[in-house]
Amino acid sequence: MASELMWRLGTQMGRRDVLKGTAALGAAAALGGAGALAGYPTSAKADTALRMELMKIPGAGNGSPTDADWQKVGSLCMGPTKQNVQPGEFKGVELSFMGLNNQNLHNFLFRGFLKPWEQYTGATIKWIDLAQGDYNARLQQSIATGTVDFDICEMGAPFEGDVCGKGLTSEMPDWVKKQIDFDDYVNYLKPPVGTWNGKIYRVCIDSDTHTMNYRTDYYSDPGLAKAWKDEGHKGEWGVPKTWAKVQEVTKFMKGKKIDGKEVYGFLDQPKPWGGFAFYFLASRATAYVKYPGEKAWMFDVDTMKPRINNPGWVRAIQDVVDLLPYEPADQINADPGTTAFQQFLVGTGGMLEWWGDIGTVAVTSDTATVGKQILFDILPASDDVYNAKTGKWEVLPTGPNVAPNMAYLGWGIYVMKTVDADSKKHKAAWSAAALLGDSDLSMWTSAYPSGFQPYRQSHNNIPLWVAGGYEEAYIKSYMDSQTTSYNHPNNAIEPRIPGIFQYYSIAEDELSKVYAGKLTAQQGADNVAKLWEALTDKLGRDKQIAFYKASLGL
Amino acid sequence: MGTTIRRSQGGRLARRIGGRTLIYAALSVWAFIALFPIYWTVSTSFKVARDVTGSHIIPWLDFTPKWLGWRSLGLSPETIFQTSTVREEFLLRFFNSVVASGGAALIAVVIGSLAAYGLSRFEYKFGPWRNKDISFFFLSQLILPPVVLALPFLILYKELALLDTKIGLVLIYTLMVLPIVIWIMRDQFNGIPMELEQAAYVDGATTWGAFLRIVLPIALPGMAAAFILAVILCWNEYFFAALLTSTDAKTLPVMVASQTGSQGIDWWTMAALSTAAIAPLVLIGIFLERWIVKGLTAGAIK
Amino acid sequence: MQNEIASRAAADARHRAADAAVAKRAVAGRRLIRAASLGLGLVVLAQVLSATDVLPLGLATWRPTLFAYIVWSVALGISQVLIRGEQGKQALFLLPALLFTIAMVIFPTFFGLGIATTDWNLSSLTGVHFDLFGNIATLAGDAFFWNALLNMGYYVLSVLVQYGIAFGLALLLNADIRGRKFFRVAFLLPFMLSPVAISWMIGKSIMEARYGPAATLARMLGWESPAFYGVGWIARASIMTMDAWNWIPFIIILLLAGLQALPGDVAEAARVDGASPWQAFWKITFPLMLPVSVTAIILRIIFELKLADIVINVTAGGPGGATDTVSSFIYREYRDRSSVGYGTMLAEFYLILIIVFVTALLALASRWMRRVS
Repeated sequence: MASELMWRLGTQMGRRDVLKGTAALGAAAALGGAGALAGYPTSAKADTALRMELMKIPGAGNGSPTDADWQKVGSLCMGPTKQNVQPGEFKGVELSFMGLNNQNLHNFLFRGFLKPWEQYTGATIKWIDLAQGDYNARLQQSIATGTVDFDICEMGAPFEGDVCGKGLTSEMPDWVKKQIDFDDYVNYLKPPVGTWNGKIYRVCIDSDTHTMNYRTDYYSDPGLAKAWKDEGHKGEWGVPKTWAKVQEVTKFMKGKKIDGKEVYGFLDQPKPWGGFAFYFLASRATAYVKYPGEKAWMFDVDTMKPRINNPGWVRAIQDVVDLLPYEPADQINADPGTTAFQQFLVGTGGMLEWWGDIGTVAVTSDTATVGKQILFDILPASDDVYNAKTGKWEVLPTGPNVAPNMAYLGWGIYVMKTVDADSKKHKAAWSAAALLGDSDLSMWTSAYPSGFQPYRQSHNNIPLWVAGGYEEAYIKSYMDSQTTSYNHPNNAIEPRIPGIFQYYSIAEDELSKVYAGKLTAQQGADNVAKLWEALTDKLGRDKQIAFYKASLGL
Repeated sequence: MGTTIRRSQGGRLARRIGGRTLIYAALSVWAFIALFPIYWTVSTSFKVARDVTGSHIIPWLDFTPKWLGWRSLGLSPETIFQTSTVREEFLLRFFNSVVASGGAALIAVVIGSLAAYGLSRFEYKFGPWRNKDISFFFLSQLILPPVVLALPFLILYKELALLDTKIGLVLIYTLMVLPIVIWIMRDQFNGIPMELEQAAYVDGATTWGAFLRIVLPIALPGMAAAFILAVILCWNEYFFAALLTSTDAKTLPVMVASQTGSQGIDWWTMAALSTAAIAPLVLIGIFLERWIVKGLTAGAIK
Repeated sequence: MQNEIASRAAADARHRAADAAVAKRAVAGRRLIRAASLGLGLVVLAQVLSATDVLPLGLATWRPTLFAYIVWSVALGISQVLIRGEQGKQALFLLPALLFTIAMVIFPTFFGLGIATTDWNLSSLTGVHFDLFGNIATLAGDAFFWNALLNMGYYVLSVLVQYGIAFGLALLLNADIRGRKFFRVAFLLPFMLSPVAISWMIGKSIMEARYGPAATLARMLGWESPAFYGVGWIARASIMTMDAWNWIPFIIILLLAGLQALPGDVAEAARVDGASPWQAFWKITFPLMLPVSVTAIILRIIFELKLADIVINVTAGGPGGATDTVSSFIYREYRDRSSVGYGTMLAEFYLILIIVFVTALLALASRWMRRVS
């Protein structure tokens, strides 16, 4: 009841009125000023006072947010909606929303956020919740059988090839572009990635990049530092900056102990995961195969000839094979999710590639127990990089090659074309999508367990995070790893072509044989290449090439 | 003489006691194996992260029970009277699960029992098909991996406007359990002596009259058993539920599966949801277990 | 005499009248079913014309056909009774289940067979093409499928172990024990858990390699760094264990019901004859239990052949395909890769294999039982 009252109040009073009543206003304004002074870029539209308020719901270190918190966040972010929509304007409109239910996040968050919106606009929303494992299949089957029974959907950018490529989505109206402050997106999410064939369809609610997460206590441990020297390793004991060092450090750590507990180095994710596990290999490979200045790295852009069996990729596969014996006993069967949240976050393993949400989950959810002992870095580099054009390994004059992998490119909200015929429904659907893509609301989803991570330039405002309960050093390390990856000139963008998850899934199956020792890395990679070629032919090579080029903006 | 007898009696007694100890030991071991995972599920729903990763097993002794898992479902004491979207979702799905599995089991038992009785008593001939072939036709529906039926059923249901309806779900579940019901009930009817009906016929009863008045009451426990088995099988069905429902007819298993994903897993929520999902079945087990075995007993031996 | 003739004539007349009535009813029955069939045919025709846009009837769904089929089914039932009398009434027992099953599976079966001959991939932009021979060639060379099929052999064999354990437990439950109610309920409960819940709460929590109680136990027993899914055969054994845990109650129920139906005097007679319990079991109980056992094992094997959920959730078929089942492989092919044509082809082929296997099994079992008894 209390929560209901709270969001009612929120919707009736509007965000600014709510804040006027609080003493926090002055302090918030001061902090906003401090942020600007400290040189952090803030978007012109970002409302610092509101964001201050949001960041304290419920505050880092106070456990996972609840239903009441989500509704509160939604009602506080209704301002822009109220400027564009009259109260009760969408009365009688019923929208159907398809999205994920990931541990009662995603769609459940959206329900909470949109409850005040439904109250204000008079529209109602029907929810279709899918488990992550069913998502791709359900989407593809709906499209193929003409049972697209949703008006709005939450979707990852890699599926754009399947959906936008078939002309199923509605183009974003200008007022929405303004309401969500499109220009505030981090650069790589702007065209070509944020668009399809030059048009904007997606409301971003997330971005993605793999970063390296590591345990600070391991790499500052004097015992390990001494052992490192004693065993004759070169260089100081510390966080590895190249993949070669990652390999060396992990092999070194096998059998070592801190406080009587076994420690491990890097954790691989070798178990298939419906296509998602392929990202972890890709993130290991980008430093080897993403040649600066060339956008393509998975296929040759003119022919769709797979590069997976070139020496760069094979080296990455071999790296995994080499390290598995030095990782925990059950690593070959550990789910990626388990690896991140049941191993790394609760104390097993010293290094891990993962998406950005691990940094916020570590301190704001009920799951983590290592919390403040982790920090962040971009993906490791490689001393040499494979140039697919010349077929040679090259040592670049600029130093080791770095290529952060924008794995999955983030979740977005898409409005389906089916609403275009009905102008009221069209506006309602886009208004709902715009609220979920609201720039202030996104500040909150970036900071709390939601499944989403920072995706706007204005998120890089350290004082706000600190006000929300984050430690400054921690959040600075976190945001640095994210923004450096996003803005890196050599970041790796995956192909947004139809059926891309089929390619990933095929690769996972063959790679699992390599990891189990049934095939060599080269044999496995050759098999994958062969199967990928067959799949490309099946899906239509010419069209795939065209989509691939379009998605890279070529 | 006397002493040997006494000794052998003593030996037999010792062996008897030894044997009984063994029996109870075996029973206890298996009871532990059967119950521990269920205990683990229930107790995990009261844990927090460090209890899960700390191998804690016994509440109050090595961990303090918390309402975390139940709170996330809106079912803990402090959240039960607040609005909670998760609880609303859970209750809707729970209700749908009850309707879908109960409805399907009911229909399957009714038409399945009729068919089983027919197959048990009469000689049929549909074209080249005899009783054996018809029985096998039903059984073969059990064999098909459900995944093959995905797309055809999606299209069929779309054309019949049965997508996301409870009736659609009931129909497909009926199809799913019908073979089992027929199999069980045919054995049941085979176990009931035919003389009973023949006596009734002599008294002027019709085929249906004899079935309804004489055979059916005897077969009721068997039908109850078949019904319970069917409910259990439907209750946990995941694949078609995930495929054919979206908003109005969605059921519990999909929600259980949704507790994992790219954010790992909240064990306490998963455990709480699993506990809530099996609770009704456990109650059925406790209160109706007698009926299951008793019901099946009649038809067990031909 | 006259009376006799008269009465005979009357009887004849009655017979003739009865025959006439029967004939009349039969005619009415035939007319009814003809009319109903015609109606059904017309509705279907109208739907086809509407669906192909030849006639703009505005039929949004195929529900009219569904209703027409229901009406036709009722008419079929009535006409059977009218035409064939008693036999028709007997047919009424079977018809609802038969008509229901046919209605539900006829479209999916033919549609599935159709799909299986194509190269349909849901993501394909080039449409659907006939590719039966391509599919067969792919199938023949598909290492994943044949590997999964071999694994199915192991999984099916594990059913015999499950049966052995279940039989032992059923005997114990059937013995004269205290707390029987408790044990019976306890033994039944594993059947209630869904495979998804089993995968997570047992496969990934209890059997977690670091803090799961099973791992703790394994360490106590001297296994230094336990990993239940690290090596092929151990992973397969772990999957079998979970599967057995889930399904043994089902076999126990069937066997216990069988044991309780055994006449008590048989065991008594054996004891009087001086047979040891062991002999009595093998000579008397076991043979008597054969029919139930065959039922239990065959039902169980059919379910086992569909094993998928636990494998998908716990190992995704790994490590290196060691735990893969045919169903879990088809799931990956069909769901993760949208390879609908080839996936359906796999499933249809597997279905044929299973039908042949189960038919052979049934024939073998019945011949064997005849020989034993």
